[in-house]
Amino acid sequence: MEKKKTDMKAIVRAYGMIFALILIIVIFGALNPRAFLSSTNFWNITRQMAILCIISLGATLIMSVEEFDLSVGNIASFSGVLSALLAISGVPFFFALVISIILSAVVGFVNGFIVTRFRVMSFIVTLAMGQVIYGITYWLSDGAIVFNGIPESFKVLGTGKFGPVPYLTVLMVVAIIVFQYLMTRTAMGRKLYAIGGNEMASKVAGIKVKTYKTIAFTISGAMAGFAGVLLASRIGSASPTGGDAYMLNSYATIFIGKTLFREGIPNVLGTVVGVALFTILANGLTIMQVPTFVQNIVTGIIIVFAVVFQKMGSGKNE
Amino acid sequence: MIVETRGLCKKFGSFYALKDIDFAIREGEIHGLVGENGAGKSTLIKILTGVYPKTSGEIFVSGKSVEIDSPVESRALGISVIHQDRNLIPSFSGVENVYLGMDTPKTHGISIDFKSMRKKIEAVMAQYGIDLPLEKMAKELSPSQKTMLEIVRAVMNNSKLLILDEPTASLTDKETDKLFSLIRQINSEGTAILYVSHRLEEIFELTERITVFKNGQLVDTVATSSVDQSGLIRMMTDNWISGKRDDEIHVNYGKKVFSVEHLSTEDGIVKDVSFTAHEGEIMGLFGLGGAGRTESLEAVYGLRARKSGTIIFEGKEIEKPTPSKCIKNGIILVHEDRRGHSLVISRSVKDNIVLSTIDKYVKHGIFDVKAERREASDKINQMNVLSQGQDQCVGELSGGNQQKVVFGRALMSAPKVFLCDEPTQAVDVKTRGEIHDLLRKCARDGSAVVYVTSDLKEMLEVADTITIISNGRTWEHLENKGLTSEQVLSYCYKER
Repeated sequence: MEKKKTDMKAIVRAYGMIFALILIIVIFGALNPRAFLSSTNFWNITRQMAILCIISLGATLIMSVEEFDLSVGNIASFSGVLSALLAISGVPFFFALVISIILSAVVGFVNGFIVTRFRVMSFIVTLAMGQVIYGITYWLSDGAIVFNGIPESFKVLGTGKFGPVPYLTVLMVVAIIVFQYLMTRTAMGRKLYAIGGNEMASKVAGIKVKTYKTIAFTISGAMAGFAGVLLASRIGSASPTGGDAYMLNSYATIFIGKTLFREGIPNVLGTVVGVALFTILANGLTIMQVPTFVQNIVTGIIIVFAVVFQKMGSGKNE
Repeated sequence: MIVETRGLCKKFGSFYALKDIDFAIREGEIHGLVGENGAGKSTLIKILTGVYPKTSGEIFVSGKSVEIDSPVESRALGISVIHQDRNLIPSFSGVENVYLGMDTPKTHGISIDFKSMRKKIEAVMAQYGIDLPLEKMAKELSPSQKTMLEIVRAVMNNSKLLILDEPTASLTDKETDKLFSLIRQINSEGTAILYVSHRLEEIFELTERITVFKNGQLVDTVATSSVDQSGLIRMMTDNWISGKRDDEIHVNYGKKVFSVEHLSTEDGIVKDVSFTAHEGEIMGLFGLGGAGRTESLEAVYGLRARKSGTIIFEGKEIEKPTPSKCIKNGIILVHEDRRGHSLVISRSVKDNIVLSTIDKYVKHGIFDVKAERREASDKINQMNVLSQGQDQCVGELSGGNQQKVVFGRALMSAPKVFLCDEPTQAVDVKTRGEIHDLLRKCARDGSAVVYVTSDLKEMLEVADTITIISNGRTWEHLENKGLTSEQVLSYCYKER
């Protein structure tokens, strides 16, 4: 009997969030099947997921080494504004994209360098760096939304489709595959998880902890920058605060993801489920014409539940 | 009797850290406590100060039977302790630290009256001729100032018994003299002193009676005037002779593979350490607790900042060593702290075995999962690790099997030099034998082993040669032939 009971707990813990996801789909599907369960809405949801997903994947790397990058939202805003301004000044979209990603990666690298070189808390360093980036973004944009003179070519990637499939969806799927491969099937993924598990032991075992942490920060910066450009491209304008909200949401999805598949460890598939949960909830509530503030309340409650679930299930933590 | 124990026992699992201790400190005496590493001195102190609960037996303070369940109760009974690792709060001022856990005077019953606190402390300091900057944070004080501050705290607490645990470990000679006169003054006013130290000359200088511990048992309590140093050492150790292995000892070592010359560390713990290891040799580095054994190995491996010294591997100097550089060269450290510094407890057996050698499975950018699993499985078989398979979480294994995983990983990089720090600590007897056999075999196959253990009996069983380390410096280099534990200890306790 005892055995069975713990098994139930383990199942709730491991798959609780997937049940929650299914439950949400069933509820919305029952309430408004025509709007919610349409194929148009399916592709719409995947497109809505893409930007949050791309930021969250980068941040998953950071979380896997037990650090934080709280500047990802600001980096996304910065990158969106920068790419829009470049596009307006006549730079072809591809180059605007690449330049923005590279500069975002540099910001990530600087974050990582400061954190590892001076052994300071990433929490506070990246928070401060976020302020710096915010200031620069404001300066670049004069504090206004950049939209005047953005060429149509800039909007293709964010709004275009292959048949019914949005480009953003394709990009997201590619990113998920690459990150899943990176984290589970490469030496680097192994090392990141080892560092997250026990930094000191990893160092003693000869892993270059500082180097790999810095790489994680750099990738996270690049992904945030990429997402920022996609956001600007999708909306067709760039706000100096457009990406800021993604920071908190991305960490929420990672925390939800941590409860899945690999207990207590950030993992790519878990993050993806977290992103889906978030996005579907927002989508469904919007279709139901629930005001935005209620959406905030509901998503907040879900995050709290996710964290409590994880603790509750694992007796070890008591 | 100010403090007395009767039949006091402390068990950790099935292991007796203290067994049937009948120990007594008289009112107003200075009592010395000596014993080898792991004899049970620290355990006794921790029980008397309420850090550990006792398993059985009785404790009497001033003739009354007492239960000491917490440090606060111990202090209320008038027992104060001054530790090796000092128990001051680094960011608190002298005044705040002295009054830690004591009732503080208040003005209007609410706000803390720092002025009167400071006055009281200054009065005590004047009485004993202590000069301390009370406004400074504890972390800004020198080791000797910290000790003084703790003594002030103990006096303010009206201690009946003051326990000093290796108080001179980081003091200069002059500071030690000052401390001793202070101890005598406090003692003359009626506070009994329990003085714990590896430095026998201090014990002889200071104490009236000495108690000797060995393997968790009390050997005897004697008047200081009735023994001499060699007599004391004889009481502290069973006299093992490195017997059975004379035939096994390698006499013809190969060439010199690894040497450390005049190593010192930034933190001053390692002052001047030199040793050499040859192919086929198990070189033991033996010293008492706090001698700088672990710190030396950490400095060699790049885990601790070096001040000076050279590390030479196969004739070439390793400049600025880091763990990854050492491993690439063929030097591996088995750290004493298994859970903190060796294993990633939350990961699988396989992940831990391949931790140092992950990169070699990457071929043309593709990670060869099959090769990784095959080699991990080979090592599990070779080391005879008992697990439910390579995907089991390493934290679920027993201590012995965890250590086998650590050695499995060490073997993965085919090292030429093993630096082993307490590799058989908290490991079952069978595994302990297997680890010894493994290292012996590696040595026979041409590796060099540097072996650190606090267990002198084990050292005499395992090592071919022994280098003595004490007070951060290396001294004699002994051939482990017919060597007795008494001889080794007398080198460790030798006044230098």
